[in-house]
Amino acid sequence: MTEEKPTSVMIGLEIHAYLGTESKLFCSCSTAPTTVPNSQTCMTCLGHPGAKPVLNEKAVELGVKVGLALNCTINEDFFFSRKTYFYPDMSMNYQITQYEVPVAQNGFVILPSGKKVRIRRAHIEWDPAALVHPNGMGKSNYVLIDYNRSGLPLVEIVTEPDLESPTQAREFMNVLENILAYLKVLRPDTTMKADCNISINGGNRTEIKNVSGFAAVEKALTYEFARQKQEVKNGKVIEQHTRAFNAETGITTELRKKETEDDYGYIFDPDLVKVSLDKDYLERAKASLPEMPEQKAQRLMKQFGFTEYDARVLSGEYHLAKLFDKMVENKASAEISSRLLTRELLSVLNHDSLSFNDVLVKPAELVELVNLIEARKVSDKNVKQSMINYISGDKFSPKEFLEKNNLLISETIDVDSIIDKVVRENAKAVVDYKAGNLKSLNFLSGVVMRETKGTVNPQKVLEILTKKLS
Amino acid sequence: MKREETISFFVEEARKDFSVVDKNLAAVIQEIKTIDSKKLNYVEEFDVKDVLRQFEELKKSFAAKDSKYYGKLFGVPITVKDAICVKGIESKAGSKILKGYKPLFDATVIERVRAEGAIILAKTTQDEFGFGTFATHTEKVPKNPFDNSRSCGGSSGGAAGFTAYTTNYHLAIGESTGGSIACPASFCGCVGLTPTYGLVSRFGLIDYANSLDKIGAIAKNAEDAALLLEVIAGYDEKDSTSLNQGFTKEEATLKRIGVVKDFVDGCDSEVKKIFYSKINELKKFYEIEEVSLPLNVKYALSAYYVIATCEASTNLAKLSGLRYGVQGSVEGKHFDDYFSEIRSQEFSEEAKRRIILGTFARMSGYRDAYYLKAMRVRTKLINEFNEAFKRYDLLLFPTMPVVAPKFEDIEKLSPMQNFAMDLCTVPANLAGLPHISVNSGFSNSLPVGLMAIAPHLQEKRLYSFAKVMQE
Repeated sequence: MTEEKPTSVMIGLEIHAYLGTESKLFCSCSTAPTTVPNSQTCMTCLGHPGAKPVLNEKAVELGVKVGLALNCTINEDFFFSRKTYFYPDMSMNYQITQYEVPVAQNGFVILPSGKKVRIRRAHIEWDPAALVHPNGMGKSNYVLIDYNRSGLPLVEIVTEPDLESPTQAREFMNVLENILAYLKVLRPDTTMKADCNISINGGNRTEIKNVSGFAAVEKALTYEFARQKQEVKNGKVIEQHTRAFNAETGITTELRKKETEDDYGYIFDPDLVKVSLDKDYLERAKASLPEMPEQKAQRLMKQFGFTEYDARVLSGEYHLAKLFDKMVENKASAEISSRLLTRELLSVLNHDSLSFNDVLVKPAELVELVNLIEARKVSDKNVKQSMINYISGDKFSPKEFLEKNNLLISETIDVDSIIDKVVRENAKAVVDYKAGNLKSLNFLSGVVMRETKGTVNPQKVLEILTKKLS
Repeated sequence: MKREETISFFVEEARKDFSVVDKNLAAVIQEIKTIDSKKLNYVEEFDVKDVLRQFEELKKSFAAKDSKYYGKLFGVPITVKDAICVKGIESKAGSKILKGYKPLFDATVIERVRAEGAIILAKTTQDEFGFGTFATHTEKVPKNPFDNSRSCGGSSGGAAGFTAYTTNYHLAIGESTGGSIACPASFCGCVGLTPTYGLVSRFGLIDYANSLDKIGAIAKNAEDAALLLEVIAGYDEKDSTSLNQGFTKEEATLKRIGVVKDFVDGCDSEVKKIFYSKINELKKFYEIEEVSLPLNVKYALSAYYVIATCEASTNLAKLSGLRYGVQGSVEGKHFDDYFSEIRSQEFSEEAKRRIILGTFARMSGYRDAYYLKAMRVRTKLINEFNEAFKRYDLLLFPTMPVVAPKFEDIEKLSPMQNFAMDLCTVPANLAGLPHISVNSGFSNSLPVGLMAIAPHLQEKRLYSFAKVMQE
């Protein structure tokens, strides 16, 4: 029996994300989402002869921020190039992008596991138009072109092939998305897309084009990893080529044979001039960076004495961190807020496979709940119940829910007579307790809590029970 | 030069009496009809209704005494090289593939001349996309007014032909990439003024080679050419390469002038003779010495054709019969086949030659050796000029090595001989330097142009020099 050699994997990602500018990269057309095709176009993004591009400075500002947040060197002088290839979604049959000198290069990102992923470069480019396939891909004998997308600003982030597994690739995507969310540089409601490069045992790489979303990236890479392993096992050599991923079937298929970058015949775009950023500009850009996830985690540990785990969970998800900040701003207890968010809120979201984009959570309403918890006015069980209800889209806030269903701990309930009733109806447990079984006391108090729907103070119940049974 | 012959004089008269505009315009329209019937081919597109509409508007301006009435070009008919976009008027840069393309916008230069009260009269013929030295690479080949069996020069051939032909008040907007204003100005005996790269907005110009393209003026005299430049020059936020500089007609003091011996040496003996006799006259006014530009003589043409074709081959990629210009039937065809079909049918041989050359020179494996090297050479050539300008206020040489050639002789030229005709005009264009071609005499009744180059943004030196030449 021969020992199978462990398979080593190299994965590199090229991630495309839309920069959140108000106008397109080289013209003043709006970038606002619209359902009316070709309503946000002009002679420049349509590529009419005679029209000329003018660079959107905001896109440069956002691109610089991305570079800084990814620990890159920002090039003080950079320029744009034409990448020429013929395709119907290209208004000019060349794409304005960056080639020799991108806005940023040589950076890195540290994953929660401590793994360092090097960033080769980040560059700015314009998006081609959208091809619309009536009734779905391949279902009609023509396509339509929607130029609303033509000219939208993209940032492309290219990693070195440092990722060692499909799971790590997904982890990287998560961390990257969080960083970009903190920066507030992305266009809202758009998914990041990735071209995924993967090779095993130092062989040739294949590139899976245009994979949309994190889960799909992991899935595509997992499939491709298994496929390459099988090929090698069958004695085949992996040739460098490009593949497509079908999100429905989870399978990658060959798209085209080896294609090197330089076939695009890059030239400097002579319609545009060199962009020069002075020292002041870069200083101001650095100063304008918000608190980033890593800094935030450190601060939470220092300021509130949180455990590293809690601090990382809170800072590792932009929306969660933002909620936490708002709640603390509104004088809610930091400790209880953190617990509510990292335990209750996340577990409800995870249970229902929801993301923050799917739900509407108002900080003020969570603060009300935190205050109730702090005043010991609500049982743990009812906290959970109110959150489940809240996340499911109930129009009532947690506090309203608790009040409406009489689930708040009440001082006016006649605890004595309820306990008497419970003691009467559970004679066996009383006997067991008196015989020395302490668990029976918990059972009895549990019955009381159930009878009162958790609206009495459990501490008080225990006290009275102990006294009555002694 | 008589003051009565200038556009400024015409504009003053027009402000006093609108019938001056009426008479001039009617006469020019009549000329267009004659040009058409004689097949002189200066005019690519002429929409009489559009011209009359503009005329009616000017009439109102005359009555209202509005800003157009006070404009520097009030009532002046202007012809426009076909490559420059005029809103609603077919603008196809002399190419079949753009047949039917009516821009949705005016080029910035068009907006500017309109704002000064000009009338956009017609589009003038040119080599397809500016690809040529004789305006023969197009369907409508303009004929030299001095001898109809000869070329007007190119690529702004129609502009110079029309300017030389008309006996009325008129200005022509031309465009130069490698000499397309100076060359036809020389062959047609006009003044051709090409500004510093970036002084005039390229917004609305159908590109040949964006880092070289310059819109400029062709006129009967230096005064008029400078007036037109004054109007069209200046910063434009719609063109990223536009300079934050304008031009005003001002005299400059010129002392020392260099004659570029290397360029003169490459010219026909007849051209040399006329050039040197003019130089002798000029010695009364200036200190004139010989100067050598060895790098430019040796490398400018090669660097120019590499850069220009690289840029052109990307510019022309958009012309694929998809959304404007010629369209074919797409039924049942893969887009690659459709694009190839349209491009094969509609581009001329010369356009195909330049697309292939340019695509080759920027391909992987050749890009470093051709495209990037040419870009570096360009910087060296600019430096050589800058060095020369430390010593000389202007540089002079003949605009073209020959007089306007006969069409039958042009046909015999190989592509390389054809490119070599641009020896004198290319260096200044590659360096983005302002230059002017002024007539310096006649050889067997054919005009011979003299070229002056000035340092960047020193157009006023050219203006001053050209005025001396014309006196």
